[in-house]
Amino acid sequence: MSDVLLTIQGLSKIFGEGETRVDAVRAVDLELGHGEIVLVMGPSGSGKTTLLSMLGGLLRPTTGEILIDGVDIAALSERELPSFRATRFGFIFQDFNLIAALTTRENVEVVLNLAGVGGKMANERAEELLVALGLAERLDFDVEQLSGGEKQRVAIARAVANRPQLIFADEPTANLDSAHGAETMRLLRQLAKDEGTTVVIVSHDERLREIADRVLWLEDGQLKRLEALVRDPVCGMLVDPAKAPARLESDGETLYFCSRGCRKEYEEGSF
Amino acid sequence: MTALQFSSSVPLARRQLLARRGRTLAGVIGIAVALLLVLALKAIFAGMEGRLTAFIDGTGADVIVAQEGVTTMHMTQSALAADAMAAIARVPGVASAQGIIYKGAFVETGPNGRSGIVGLVGGGPVPDLVEGRPPRPGEIVLDRALANQLGVDEGAVVQVLGTRLRVSGQVEGTAAITGSFAFVARATLEQIVNAPNVVSYALVRARPGTDADELAIRINQDVTGVTASTRASFARSERSVVGDMSTDIVRAMILIGFVIGVAVAGLVAYSQTLAQQRDYGVLRALGLSARRALSLVLVQVATLVLAGFVLALGLVGLLALVLPMLSPTLVLSIRMEDVLQAASVAGAVALAAALIPVLHVVRVEPASVFRRTS
Repeated sequence: MSDVLLTIQGLSKIFGEGETRVDAVRAVDLELGHGEIVLVMGPSGSGKTTLLSMLGGLLRPTTGEILIDGVDIAALSERELPSFRATRFGFIFQDFNLIAALTTRENVEVVLNLAGVGGKMANERAEELLVALGLAERLDFDVEQLSGGEKQRVAIARAVANRPQLIFADEPTANLDSAHGAETMRLLRQLAKDEGTTVVIVSHDERLREIADRVLWLEDGQLKRLEALVRDPVCGMLVDPAKAPARLESDGETLYFCSRGCRKEYEEGSF
Repeated sequence: MTALQFSSSVPLARRQLLARRGRTLAGVIGIAVALLLVLALKAIFAGMEGRLTAFIDGTGADVIVAQEGVTTMHMTQSALAADAMAAIARVPGVASAQGIIYKGAFVETGPNGRSGIVGLVGGGPVPDLVEGRPPRPGEIVLDRALANQLGVDEGAVVQVLGTRLRVSGQVEGTAAITGSFAFVARATLEQIVNAPNVVSYALVRARPGTDADELAIRINQDVTGVTASTRASFARSERSVVGDMSTDIVRAMILIGFVIGVAVAGLVAYSQTLAQQRDYGVLRALGLSARRALSLVLVQVATLVLAGFVLALGLVGLLALVLPMLSPTLVLSIRMEDVLQAASVAGAVALAAALIPVLHVVRVEPASVFRRTS
């Protein structure tokens, strides 16, 4: 791993209390290097979005530190956080989340404005990025007129406009066909390798593993390296061998199951 | 860390308003109608006040003397003592004193004809005639608006307090919804009221170099049983008659205008904010501070209200042109003080209307941007 950009120590997020308490993220430790692409996968409700929100300075953790170049963003005030996000982070969303009232160019320009870059400089930077992403003919289009792939390219241009250190991408390929999904993956990889931008991707899309330097598995609010997990031979779910609810020795090999039900099915040979 | 400035390169507030043109236009019209209620009513009363003092303003008198305690012509009665005119003429600084008779009356075209209310002036100066000649005994000069309303012209005969009078001419600019002025010879009015030598008011001119305020004070000191007022002061009292009548109505209308304005502006601003909730979440996530988000809402509401205010001003200007054509007694006078008052109502509307959307925007969580829309 290259030198460390982001360090997370003992990061937890608890929602509610008493009977309604949910430990969405539990004591997560993690280090991310400059230019690294990290893919976080996991089942729905595992805490992926909560983790991404905390890393992006959008949600305050219950405990723990999020150090970016030595700055603990969990300790930043509400006045400091917006400008930190504007200058250091880029966001790519599953639904693109472009501002419908603005044109293609303005959608990129507005984040430059938020970072204190205005006027001609912002206008030219937005145009330069959009042209580079093949949207030269769409600069003054309403974003609603764009295709899904074009919208995602605008979202990527918006995410990189302020040359952020970190890009957080939430299901960046989910609403795209395979060709546009592959194009998005290529752009993310290019960003990381050419610009040294660290990219954190939260997704269910297995294709993204191709560009990831590391794949992490988040389950029950805890991170695991995907390489350390095994697949349930019945349902295909990833299972942590240390915590597997059921296991079976078969032909000198240990099989791990997500549940006793799956093991029973395996034993009965009914799957 | 230094707080970053949000450059205004992308006119976000304007774009958001224009994105939903129909809703924005409806809001602007609603606010304009609400403010128009305030502006139009004030303009109508201002116009009425102007017409009410048209005769006083045109007399050229420096001081007007009435029965003690009387400071107006409308809504009152005044009769000076028989020796008052001579006493007034003796006061140092008085150049001339002209006695007039004033009587409120109905002008009728016949037993079952049309009628109108007039302030009948006998013996005073007649404003510039737009038609005909000044009244001789047995004649009357009417305001053109009343003459049109009655359907009479020069030479027609009308009836006033049981006396038939021939219309000799017409004046303009004294008709209001409360009535108009009509002018007759003093002898005619003495005959009508059956009171020879009666004087209601004395119109006093000051000698050159004599201050009107000082002359009024001197007359009040030297002549018993009278109240002398400068023309300006008398006109002010006259206007206050309308002011007193209209204050409660105007207040009620301002309140209604305010409530409607707040309701319309608030509803539009709130619905805009709701429609833009996701945009606000995205912008907050991308680095828009809560303070800037609030200013976006405020700018939008202020723009709506300002546009509504400008439209209301335009509409009241249009009404001021059109209404007198439809009804000559209805005159709208747009005064700066009333425009400023409407502007302050508009400001209050904007602040009140922005309250709920502002509270809503404050509660938008940047993290909500990760929630799926479908």
